[in-house]
Amino acid sequence: MSAVLDEKTAAPRFKAPEHSFTLAANLGTGPVSVEPYRSPAYFELERERVFRRAWLYAGRVEALPETHSYFIKDLDVCKASVLVTRGKGERIRAFHNVCSHRGNLVVNQACGKAERFVCKYHNWSYSSDGSLMGIPDQKHFFDVDKKTCGLTPIACEVWEGFIFINLQPTPEVSLAEFLGPFGTKYAGIPYFNLDETIVIEADFQANWKLICDAFAEPYHVPSLHPGTLAPGFAHPEDNKYARPLSAMAHGIHRHFSAYGNPQYVPAPESKVERMVYIQDTGGVLGGDAQGNAAALWSHPAINPTKDPNWSADVTWIFPNFNIDYSTGGFWTHEFWPVAYNRTKWTQRIYIPKTASVRHRLQLEHYACRWAEVVLEDVTNCERIQRGLESGAKDVMHLQDAEMLIRHNLHVLDNWVKADRVADALK
Amino acid sequence: MSAAESSGTSLPAGFEPLETYVPYWCLDTNDARRAARSQAEMPEIQAFYDAIVARAEDAIAHVEQFELGQMPAEAERLFKLLLAMNHAAIAVEMHGAPRAIDSNWPSAVRISRGPWPHGGTL
Ligand code: FES
Ligand SMILES: [Fe+2]
Repeated sequence: MSAVLDEKTAAPRFKAPEHSFTLAANLGTGPVSVEPYRSPAYFELERERVFRRAWLYAGRVEALPETHSYFIKDLDVCKASVLVTRGKGERIRAFHNVCSHRGNLVVNQACGKAERFVCKYHNWSYSSDGSLMGIPDQKHFFDVDKKTCGLTPIACEVWEGFIFINLQPTPEVSLAEFLGPFGTKYAGIPYFNLDETIVIEADFQANWKLICDAFAEPYHVPSLHPGTLAPGFAHPEDNKYARPLSAMAHGIHRHFSAYGNPQYVPAPESKVERMVYIQDTGGVLGGDAQGNAAALWSHPAINPTKDPNWSADVTWIFPNFNIDYSTGGFWTHEFWPVAYNRTKWTQRIYIPKTASVRHRLQLEHYACRWAEVVLEDVTNCERIQRGLESGAKDVMHLQDAEMLIRHNLHVLDNWVKADRVADALK
Repeated sequence: MSAAESSGTSLPAGFEPLETYVPYWCLDTNDARRAARSQAEMPEIQAFYDAIVARAEDAIAHVEQFELGQMPAEAERLFKLLLAMNHAAIAVEMHGAPRAIDSNWPSAVRISRGPWPHGGTL
């Protein structure tokens, strides 16, 4: 259950940075209110002021492989069903999936390929650019103007293959302005293994920010994930508390770099783990055996201090999307609020195609280790929710490794208070 | 009648002692294997783990003779037992318990898509 250290590899000893991440990000250091995690009224503000005004991740461009491909993205938090299409000219567009006749949902399949979308109620039909194509028995209507009866468009922009949408009728800021310094620093990262994924989902009873927070700090790894993660992400002498290598704000977004124990090998009694990690795939977070990851590591935004004890970067794009980069590839998290105390979470881990029997066994181990980590976090979030709703505590205390949580609450507060998005971005 | 049926085992010849684990552990999807392990008792998991680990290298050598996704049924069953071995290992090697400490079953977590082959899509 514990890692053994391979004495032959004299890896550099880890030294935690001496400066404070929290102070460097211009944040306070005092206790923080827990009201945003348990207040239904605050949740309504988040719904209106954050999720209805921010650019939100909807999916990757690979989900729309051909002209006329489409997918549906349900945004419970905005009570919206969004249709994302690739129409003629390869242009990616988004629409409210709502019929102009009497408001029925038009498309009921999660994804597919269709040249026209036909509403099942009375067969009004739409093209993949959203325009209304046909009204059965149009003569019987009263001067209906087909040109004004297309699907209602939703602003949609793509950054590095990630499709974002914005539910403001006219977004106050572009996606580039919204992403700010994050968008420029993290541009040009190579993405690979884009057509194979492991997908892990959870629907649970806790505020959405609790699960965001669980991925925003490594401080809990030794205590909450003792068997699944701690041996690879902490070190009994060098880094007992899994202190991060770096943690920074990038405008309203943020990242931290996680320590990885470079001497980690599975313990002798972990016979299966030793068997399946026999391939050199970059440790417990390894997904890629083909060397694709090397180009990722050399990008200046990744592991910005270029620490040799690096395992992964967690990037948190405000409000609810993570792109995480590791020694073996990347994965994403979407943390979708449903109610103030209910969240749906989807993790997509991009993996190479199965290359051999041993590789398949490794991927199985990888998937079930991840599911177990997720279970540890989800179960824990439900307990925190209960703890906070009891009213026993009004504040929480955040340490320096938890800087991303403090930064998120700070940004969130700005968004909730600001009347204009431009002010919320300051 | 196949050779396997005539010998009274659904696994390739030589793996008869693992036959007893087929009904519970030979499953089609990643999530089904996870559910099986999560709901089992530790002695059952340990017994399966000990039996499959002892024959794992031989079993891998056997299934490696075939193309992934195109194995004869007997080899495919053996391969699925090897896949389930990874789940048993989470209990035996990581938690010392069937599931993450203090977690509930049924669980809020699902592996809704696993790797190909035999990962499955929920
Ligand atoms: S509501 Fe769509 S055709 Fe009538
Ligand atoms: Fe965690």
